[in-house]
Amino acid sequence: MTDRDQPPTTKPELLGRDEWVSEHDQRVRRDTWTAIGAAIERVPFVLRLAIIAAAALAFPIFTDNNYVLRIVGTVALFASLAMGLNLVAGFAGLLDLGYVAFYGIGGYAYAYFSSDFLGIHLPTWVTLLIVVALGALFGWLLGLPSMRLTGDYLAIATLGFLLVFIQLATSLTRVSLPWTDGPVDLTGGPNGIVNLDDFSLFGFTASTVEHYLVILVGLLLVVMTVAHNLDRSRVGRGWRALRENELAANVMGMPTKRLKLLAFVFGSAIAGMSGMTFAAWQGAVFPNNFAVPLLITMYSIIVLGGLGSIPGVLVGSFILVVVPELLRDVGLASTLFYGAVILTLFVAIKPRWQAAAVVAGTALVGIAARLFLPGEPPGVGEGLGALVGQILVVPGNDPQLVGNIAFMAVLGLLFLSVYLPTRTLKLVALVPLLWLLALAWNTRLSQDPSVTRLLLIGLTLVALMNFRPAGLFGRTRVEVM
Amino acid sequence: MALLELRNLSKSFGGLQVLEDLSLQVEEGEILGLIGPNGAGKTTVLNVISGIYKPDGGEILMDGSPIAGLAPHQVTARGIARTFQTLRLFINMSVIDNVVSAGYGQMRSNLAQIIFRTPAFRREEAEMRARAEDLLGFFGERITGYRLDQPAYSLSYANRRRLEIARALMTSPRLLLLDEPAAGMNPAETQEVTQLIGRLREEGGYTILFIEHDMGVVADISDRVMALDHGRVISEGHYDDVVADPAVIEAYLGTGGVARK
Repeated sequence: MTDRDQPPTTKPELLGRDEWVSEHDQRVRRDTWTAIGAAIERVPFVLRLAIIAAAALAFPIFTDNNYVLRIVGTVALFASLAMGLNLVAGFAGLLDLGYVAFYGIGGYAYAYFSSDFLGIHLPTWVTLLIVVALGALFGWLLGLPSMRLTGDYLAIATLGFLLVFIQLATSLTRVSLPWTDGPVDLTGGPNGIVNLDDFSLFGFTASTVEHYLVILVGLLLVVMTVAHNLDRSRVGRGWRALRENELAANVMGMPTKRLKLLAFVFGSAIAGMSGMTFAAWQGAVFPNNFAVPLLITMYSIIVLGGLGSIPGVLVGSFILVVVPELLRDVGLASTLFYGAVILTLFVAIKPRWQAAAVVAGTALVGIAARLFLPGEPPGVGEGLGALVGQILVVPGNDPQLVGNIAFMAVLGLLFLSVYLPTRTLKLVALVPLLWLLALAWNTRLSQDPSVTRLLLIGLTLVALMNFRPAGLFGRTRVEVM
Repeated sequence: MALLELRNLSKSFGGLQVLEDLSLQVEEGEILGLIGPNGAGKTTVLNVISGIYKPDGGEILMDGSPIAGLAPHQVTARGIARTFQTLRLFINMSVIDNVVSAGYGQMRSNLAQIIFRTPAFRREEAEMRARAEDLLGFFGERITGYRLDQPAYSLSYANRRRLEIARALMTSPRLLLLDEPAAGMNPAETQEVTQLIGRLREEGGYTILFIEHDMGVVADISDRVMALDHGRVISEGHYDDVVADPAVIEAYLGTGGVARK
């Protein structure tokens, strides 16, 4: 379909668009998160920075609860770190799985230059320069062999780099050097390097959580500014172009190899700075601070927020840091859990009265169970969990065992219900399923928060990515021509 | 001196000789049409010129200096731009960003200027954007105005082809390589492409080397036509002479097409 084929009466904005494009645009426009993203875009960048700074720094004014302040600091730290990854993986589209190794390099470099481990105590700003240079250097070195690799191959090569880093940090404890007598400890091994100096800038030494919060927010603002300004320059356009079509980018005059190296260098320098700040804040570095789980968290943040989106990184960090903390509390976790279940039911089952019927049916089954089954309601449960607990019965006196059995039964029923022939049967099967799920939650899952937290976060991510594959602020990408 | 000269170029993929001892010259200000049956090596010629493939042997001279073996972006910097037979737009980028991105090689801002957004950097950005809008205006109102900020995938096929030409022009080329600019176009659009190629030379001063299967376009606009088969030049000259050449007819239709020898 082309311009010429259209009758002249067609609205000009509809000229030259095919059905698929129109449908896609309509879908995008209706979306709440896209609307929020667009609204954020309209706020001047400096004002956005000011709002972030004000919001983060308001916490120390209104609370002196160190736990809360530490969470806010972690959000800022993770956002800075993820912002660097967003440059590499989001803007330039390079799947760098070695990213957190640079965070570790920054951390260990700070430890070397600011502790009694080597007996060196450099001023913080000197260390900062060294860390940025080291990060950039290692990023460049890792980038070099990676220039010929794309996609999966790049991912594996960089992941290898991370694993080597962790291995070296863990095991370089007895190294024989030619100029020393006997083996030397280079990394402190699993026990890491402890008693690091605090940040000391312009004659001011950071010692409290509040101080570090200010430093972390400052780091975040710097990193955001760099990312934002790069994005709107020939470098940022070059990164996006090479993500779209590397050959065309090269032919259109963009030095694609140099641009890829540049992405690695910037990402690694940012990771190094973040790692250094983290090390000073924690006062120590350990190999497992920089391991694969952190890498997964970082990717979760940028994918959840939307690849290549700067506000997305902030929101992603906020969710992935704050939600796990909220889930530490059994009552809150229960409320969130049941809230999510009911919300999912009402979103997924239409018409709505059927979802309501399923919930009501579950309640009826529960009341019937209380009346006719032997056993007592579980003694635990807070928030929504306490309410739901009223319709549950635990036969016998081993709630843990009952919970385990109920959980297995849930999985079994879930598996079987896939094969049920009609929708009505599936809806009916949901009733015992939900009741058993509630039983499993109240007796077992809510009692084991460390595992359940991860389970819930995983489920939340799966659900979110199903509803919004492009991430919260990401733009739906098109792969057709 | 010719603007572009290929001397005894050869290129093979494994055992397949795609280009064999191929020589051609493109004069400044000329419109040269490259024709030939499928698999004749036409696109390979363009790929070798633009640095995507390195030739196995032979020389490529742009304005007298050798460019064989240079990376694509270095070739572009010497003043050669191209479009692709199968479109290679940055489809998830906006129309204007597609064009501005191709100005990379002409922008001079360094990283410090970019990060601090110095006045010089802002000026350069504004200039580039203005130039990109100007180039898009070359195609009338089709890809300007409200369309500038739409993603490239929202354009119709013909407009995508126009956008790709605008993007190539953004690199400030002297020589423009067009790979089947009329492919997939309807007759009216094909007519327009023909006029467009003429306008590119008249108004833009570009020298043009193009590949085309639509003989109407080739007949209308080429100063000179070159026919390729099996990686060799089999005929060269005015359109009428080339299409009447028995070697060309044989290449297209087989030996049954004309009695030879």
